[in-house]
Amino acid sequence: MMKKRIDKKKGIREGNLFATILIYFFAACIAFITIYPVYYVLILSLSSPEYAVTMRVYWWPKGFYLDGYARVLKDTQFWFSFRNTVLYVVSQLVLMLITCTLTAYPLTVKGLKGRKILTTYLLIPMYFSGGIIPSYLLVLNLGLYNTPFALILTGSFSIWYIILVKSYFSTIPESLREAAKMDGANHWKILLSIYLPASKPILAVIALYTIVGVWNGWFSAFLYLTKVEWQPLQLYLRRILVENSVKLADTLLTEAERLAAQKELLVNSQLKYTVIFVSMIPMMILYPFFQKFFVKGVMLGSLKE
Amino acid sequence: MNAVRKRVKKRGGLSWRENAELYTMLAPTVILIFIFCYIPMYGLIIAFQDYVPGRQFLSLANANWVGFEHFTAFINSIFFSRLIWNTIRLSLLNLLFGFTIPILFALLLNEVKNLHFKKFVQTVSYLPYFISTVVVAGLVLSFLEPNGLVNNILAMFGVQPTEWIVQPKAYPTIYTVTNVWKNFGFSSVLYFSTMASIDPTLYESAKIDGANRWKQMLYITLPGLRNIIAITLILQLGALLTSNTELALLLYRSATYETSDVIGTFVYRMGIEQGKYSYSTAVGLFLSIIGFGLTFVANKVSNKFAGYGLW
Repeated sequence: MMKKRIDKKKGIREGNLFATILIYFFAACIAFITIYPVYYVLILSLSSPEYAVTMRVYWWPKGFYLDGYARVLKDTQFWFSFRNTVLYVVSQLVLMLITCTLTAYPLTVKGLKGRKILTTYLLIPMYFSGGIIPSYLLVLNLGLYNTPFALILTGSFSIWYIILVKSYFSTIPESLREAAKMDGANHWKILLSIYLPASKPILAVIALYTIVGVWNGWFSAFLYLTKVEWQPLQLYLRRILVENSVKLADTLLTEAERLAAQKELLVNSQLKYTVIFVSMIPMMILYPFFQKFFVKGVMLGSLKE
Repeated sequence: MNAVRKRVKKRGGLSWRENAELYTMLAPTVILIFIFCYIPMYGLIIAFQDYVPGRQFLSLANANWVGFEHFTAFINSIFFSRLIWNTIRLSLLNLLFGFTIPILFALLLNEVKNLHFKKFVQTVSYLPYFISTVVVAGLVLSFLEPNGLVNNILAMFGVQPTEWIVQPKAYPTIYTVTNVWKNFGFSSVLYFSTMASIDPTLYESAKIDGANRWKQMLYITLPGLRNIIAITLILQLGALLTSNTELALLLYRSATYETSDVIGTFVYRMGIEQGKYSYSTAVGLFLSIIGFGLTFVANKVSNKFAGYGLW
């Protein structure tokens, strides 16, 4: 099996052809398994409702249908929740970057009074937490329940990210800070003009993790926001996809009404594929560009562990 | 944290002004952490009370202390063994597949020598990680409908259409497949980058010695991954009592509780839905103590054998 095939250019050729084919075949299968469900949703969203509902569509859309997209784009609830998600992403992103840098910087300054105690104070919640019920009761008691601040404040900091930024900051040579101090710069100035510009890579990683996390997150919103008004896109999707809250045809009286309701039901069932696809579009476009930052994040995390 | 404590001699400390500046920077986060991390920790005391909604959350005055009543009630309830068993079963399934598949995937893709194709498969495999849990659950639910994709495909093999999502026997499979599908690609990142750091001259000399691809994988790549595999395994064993509650909450149905109800979902249902705050806090606390113990032991083992752990 090994040195049988001698390639003119490379000398020893690795493995045999059969193994190579098998490896490529399996890799292709894995890619197919990952991508097909997503592609499937796309073709369902473009098929006529009657085909989409019974899922008898496999490779190409059956009966070209764009009404689903028109309906989603006209749905005020969709836009409402979309706007909320954008609001949460932007506000949590800004707060996250502020809290990360402002907390990480002082903890790298040697000689700060109580630095060790502050670091411990920061680390304890990583290993112990009150769990969901006390947190829920706290939000309730603070009067934040059903307000956007419940999400924005609870998601405004992350101890894990603070630690990542802190360890990045500690790689910046101390002498830079000392030199700036000599020139009369205070710590705010040093942070803004030396540390921030030097730590763009780590801040980019944290920003992207935050964006994707907030965009895809639903559980805190599910805990703290019962009013539709402030719910993010993921809860809107949850209502459509998981609760399946659609009118039942039996409760209606006349035959004509029943038929209309059935058609409505059909259209609504197809609508969910359109909604899924629309909600995935931003991430699908962006993630190939994001991925290298995510990979970097994993590496940073594993080094710190 | 590997606390590399460099004994730095204090150069006279900082001036009053500098300390003040730095404390101003720290203040917002210190306050946020106090409110949203430390107060809930303190709030755990309601596990030893009969907390009635509307009563002062933080005051100890006229609290209805009940001691360990909620804990014993839970241990003696019919839910206790079911929840633990379900949680452990789902974690073990996830360990069996969610842990091995990323390794096998990384090993397989490592053998693909066409860089464009390799990059393509890798990028595609990350895709599910970027899809939200809600959408993934939504996909699974619609594929599993009686006239959905899964039943259509099974019908080709003569299987009767079934509403899989309400079958307790099918739930562990559904949950595991969904979890693995969502995470296998991104979980393999760590293995890919570790492989990239293996010295290429090792492969060169192995080739000269006549080792084929299989042998190279067995004797060079796998040993290179040994540490990272050991750590991941140990840490996952420590997390035996934690499960993906978010996914479970979306996929489980009351019809499947006998296999699908886990600690996280039970705490959510008892606490948030039924308002048994003290009881569910006690359940959560009890199990996080056990979970913490497991993680602690796992970490000790990891430190001992791999010289590397969480702390």
